[in-house]
Amino acid sequence: MVTLDVDYFRDLETPRLAHLAPNLVAAAFPLMKLMPARFILDRAASNGELKRGSHIVETTSGTFGMAVALLAAARHYRLTLVTASTLIDAKYKARLERIGATVIALDDPRGDGNQPGRLERLQEILANEPDGFWTRQYDSPGNWLAYARLAELFIRAMGKVDCLVGCVGTGGSLCGTASFLRTVFPHLTVFAVDTHRSILFGQPVGKRMLRGLGNSVLPKNVRHELVDEIHWVGAYPAYGTAHRLLRDHGLFMGPTSGAAALVAQWVATTLSDAQVAVIMPDEGHRHAETVYNDDWLAALPGWPCKEPSEPRTLTTIAPAAETQWTRFLWLRRSLDDVLKTREAGEVPPAVGAAENL
Amino acid sequence: MSREALRSQVGTAAAIAHHGELIQGVFKDDGGRLHRGLVTLPITGLRSEASFARSDGDAVVVHPNHKIKASAAAQLTLEFLNVTGGGVLTLQSAIPVGHGYGSSTADVVASIRAVAAALNVQLRPSSIGRLAVAAERASDAIAFDEHAVLFAQREGTVIENFAGSLPPLLLVGFKANAGAPVDTLQLPPARYDSAEIQEFGVLRALVARAVRLQDPYLLGRAASASALISQRHLPKQGFGEIAEIARRAGACGVQVAHSGSLFGLIFDLFASNLKRRAALVAQQIRRAGFKDVEVHLVNAEGRTW
Repeated sequence: MVTLDVDYFRDLETPRLAHLAPNLVAAAFPLMKLMPARFILDRAASNGELKRGSHIVETTSGTFGMAVALLAAARHYRLTLVTASTLIDAKYKARLERIGATVIALDDPRGDGNQPGRLERLQEILANEPDGFWTRQYDSPGNWLAYARLAELFIRAMGKVDCLVGCVGTGGSLCGTASFLRTVFPHLTVFAVDTHRSILFGQPVGKRMLRGLGNSVLPKNVRHELVDEIHWVGAYPAYGTAHRLLRDHGLFMGPTSGAAALVAQWVATTLSDAQVAVIMPDEGHRHAETVYNDDWLAALPGWPCKEPSEPRTLTTIAPAAETQWTRFLWLRRSLDDVLKTREAGEVPPAVGAAENL
Repeated sequence: MSREALRSQVGTAAAIAHHGELIQGVFKDDGGRLHRGLVTLPITGLRSEASFARSDGDAVVVHPNHKIKASAAAQLTLEFLNVTGGGVLTLQSAIPVGHGYGSSTADVVASIRAVAAALNVQLRPSSIGRLAVAAERASDAIAFDEHAVLFAQREGTVIENFAGSLPPLLLVGFKANAGAPVDTLQLPPARYDSAEIQEFGVLRALVARAVRLQDPYLLGRAASASALISQRHLPKQGFGEIAEIARRAGACGVQVAHSGSLFGLIFDLFASNLKRRAALVAQQIRRAGFKDVEVHLVNAEGRTW
């Protein structure tokens, strides 16, 4: 049964996730990636890099691709998305193509989404297109600059933000939001969420189950100096939390959002006097045939994994310990240090100067 | 339509000064277009008073005669109200010139109000703001008195109405750069980069929240961040030292006149031990070599210091 808070109706973009923790506010709205996509395209158009009829290219199969596809359709640009066959299902590919995008899904013999040749294919298209434009979601400063809007929304909803939790894919949403929030809340603690076998925070690359998370390259938009703690979340806990978001809050989100919400719940439960903000960047429709499909789930080995009856707090989990639910790497500080810092009012290292566009 | 029938002999009005801006920068409107904008920090202790006596001549004569912008504002107001003739405009102001107190805008707004009063017309603050910009090219938001708005100072429009007044504050104000005045109109408009423009959206949200919750600390954070950005465009000597004094004193934040020499330390008016803390801060500021340290009350509902 779906129960909806009053807050959900009052502010659809930033609902308070009262069923997970009373001090937890989410940014959860469809196509959050429209923010960076629009920013990057607007900037390129004003610089003259994009002209009417230009050909946009990007390597993505996710929500950024959908956002660019919608904008490209509205603004009459051609769009080609290059991806791996294991990262995109037929229905989502068909939806992108109906909007007008050309989707090139390359073979993925290793099945890990890291197949060689994706960038070469993209370069090949650009070489043959005098008006080609690569949005560069992994490296464009526009990707993190656009997330000032998210920082603004959090402030309008919560006032003061003590902790920020978000997944790291391209690094844009978490690092961008954190960067802008830190300029006004220097004590902000930033919790990054990643999945196993992702290169971003030093793990060996391998096959990953959690679509949307895990990288085989290091994007320039990932700014490690902004992150206080890293949490590696497995696919099953992320699926389970995504189901819970739908069941308890009426939020139809993808597994990446589930992973972020899971960590955010633990943070909010531990730091019960802190205002915790969580970024939930993917919507559920794209995962209707997988994460929300009982047959697909039933075929997974070991599904369902046993959900803890109560949310465990971070302090009960030893640093760097691997658990059934998640694995933590304490990057700079243990949670105890975070708590002490909050009490002492110590100012963390200054945020680096923003790069100009 | 002529409003000759509404004519009265003399109209009098006043306008308050301000202590520079809480935030100033470039902001997006609902359509995504960028506008230069600011949130004014009003101070009621300083004011300009104007009286306007209608005459049958075409000209507006102003006393003192160097108040050209006020004269232009009076003329524009007559035209706006579709009234022929002129009058004698007399101004009296205690607001220091050239430091960011908004002395010329106070004259202009008082003049517009006085002309309207002489015609028995009550002008809306938004109309007064537009007329003020027309008269002096760039204005501020004192037409709205103590109501908080994000005002496009070169267009005379409201980008965001924060729907309330600023929280009650105590302001310890003083002058930077050895008290040297700044000619606002000679300053080139600051060119903000993309990151700064994005940050202004965050500061605007902080001000909105501060007004909604009457939270002086959120307001102070917004002011400090805007002051820091302003350092890149119109640097004030001793900024770091003042920021440190503010931090040690538990101030809500540091505020500056973005096109003037004023500095301000913002305190919560209801904070404990405020008189002693303010006195200590004033002493430290003087010791650091700054001049003209004063205390102002904002939205203090008649309290005196």
